[in-house]
Amino acid sequence: MTPVLEFLQAIPYDQILIQTVNGIVTGMILALIASGLTLIFGIMDVVNFAHGELFMFGAYMGVVVLAATGSFWLALLLATLIVALIGAALQITTLRPLIGRDPLTTILATFGISLVMQNYALWQFGPVARKIQEPFTGQFTLFYLEYPWYRVLIAGLSAAIIGAFWLFLKYGTYGIWIRATTQDRVMAEAMGIPVSWVYTTVFAIGAGMAAASGVLFGPLVGVNHAMGLDWVLKAFIVVVVGGMGNLGGSIAASIFISLLEAYASIWVSPAQAVIVSFVVLILTLLFRPTGLFVPTPK
Amino acid sequence: MSLDPTPMEPLVAVEDVHTYYGKSHILHGVSLHVDRGEVVGLLGRNGVGKSTTLKTIMGLVHPNRGKVLFAGKLVTGLPAHKLARLGIGYVPEDRRIFRLLTVMENLRTGLDRHGITEARKQELLDKAFTYFPVLAERRNQAGGTLSGGEQQMLAIARAMMLEPKIILLDEPTEGLMPRMVSQIREIIEVLHREGVAILLVEQNVPLTLEASQRIYIMEKGAVRHHCAASELKVDDAVVHQYLGV
Repeated sequence: MTPVLEFLQAIPYDQILIQTVNGIVTGMILALIASGLTLIFGIMDVVNFAHGELFMFGAYMGVVVLAATGSFWLALLLATLIVALIGAALQITTLRPLIGRDPLTTILATFGISLVMQNYALWQFGPVARKIQEPFTGQFTLFYLEYPWYRVLIAGLSAAIIGAFWLFLKYGTYGIWIRATTQDRVMAEAMGIPVSWVYTTVFAIGAGMAAASGVLFGPLVGVNHAMGLDWVLKAFIVVVVGGMGNLGGSIAASIFISLLEAYASIWVSPAQAVIVSFVVLILTLLFRPTGLFVPTPK
Repeated sequence: MSLDPTPMEPLVAVEDVHTYYGKSHILHGVSLHVDRGEVVGLLGRNGVGKSTTLKTIMGLVHPNRGKVLFAGKLVTGLPAHKLARLGIGYVPEDRRIFRLLTVMENLRTGLDRHGITEARKQELLDKAFTYFPVLAERRNQAGGTLSGGEQQMLAIARAMMLEPKIILLDEPTEGLMPRMVSQIREIIEVLHREGVAILLVEQNVPLTLEASQRIYIMEKGAVRHHCAASELKVDDAVVHQYLGV
């Protein structure tokens, strides 16, 4: 037997396929969180450190509405809307007064918001993780695994939400306002676009998308007050690797990094696989600081 | 120094405006006015505050002292988007096309607003495409891929989407080929015929004298000379003094 054949036979194809599915599912959730983050940065140069807490709040709103109504879908919808409104209120009260100031002030402000929200959640819901019951429990056989359909649904729904949002940006009137403001806020203002309300809307949309991913992801892990931390860290990595403010880049980077981590965890433990993200981040910052998925800087 | 007092209130009036950028004092008490449907030229060397005057009228910078009135209403301190809605169109010096938006999307930034019917939108678009046929050809092309002259036309067409009562034109012919310059000259004429007022900042003195009814000349952040365009010749002493041509 030749060494090449030996090598080919040693590759665990079944595991690779399973991890591809896993990577895409995680990647889509991550993309849903990261697109809000990158959009908020792209349009108002605000690095939103409270994004993970909006994700966490979304999950808790999901828990509350699910307990009250028994409908997962209603929970998803209402949590998204409620957190979008909270996002709008936060933007108006804490970020709008800081427009035009040193960007450092917005970092402090959003970091402050994140601490308040985390501790509020701890105070209100306690330290014990809550559970969101998935809307259905069907499974299909993937090699030796019983793979839950719900995970596939998460990936599909995330893709649908991102897709709908992309269509809105591309064709909707307010989508054009958002893109125009991202490119040149002064000229947008001179064209009659109320830029400060565009900011608020974008922040609300980003918050809503984070909340939706919180509810969708809730059934896979527990819901607790610190759940935002892991995700927001990864989302930041993805946003940098994808090119700050670049929506398509963030989505590509989400899937890319999640796949790499998923493959890495075939050979090492998942905790160690996280290292892969940081390696990609460092390499990107060293060799392509404008982002991996940016064709040409604008 | 003023000409005969105008019986009706001016469309735009700037009264003793002082504007700062941080600590630097840019405008030292600028006063000028533009009547309805009038083309007014604003001349002066680089850095005397012509562009800042336009930005102050547009609400992009706010004066520390002085007043800006639009149709008799005090608008000092209003945000630019409200002034755009009131009827001020702005064509900045560097054109500031939304480079990643298509020509059509650039126009839509001014077109998609409340209280305008689909029919009216189409009318405005048709008009812009009649004036600037090249924009119709390139409607689905990204703004950043247009040539300098085409971008200038897009910037003017974009301002026209707001159905403005006045357009602030900042150096529209800068860096353009002679053929494009005469096209800009024509479009100023067309806008004037339609009753749109224009405040024209230019380095091109002959064009400005030809296109305008009145001229203001600025130096060091203030208006130093004001007269009817017909009174001024390209080789007048006053032109030499303030513009050095």
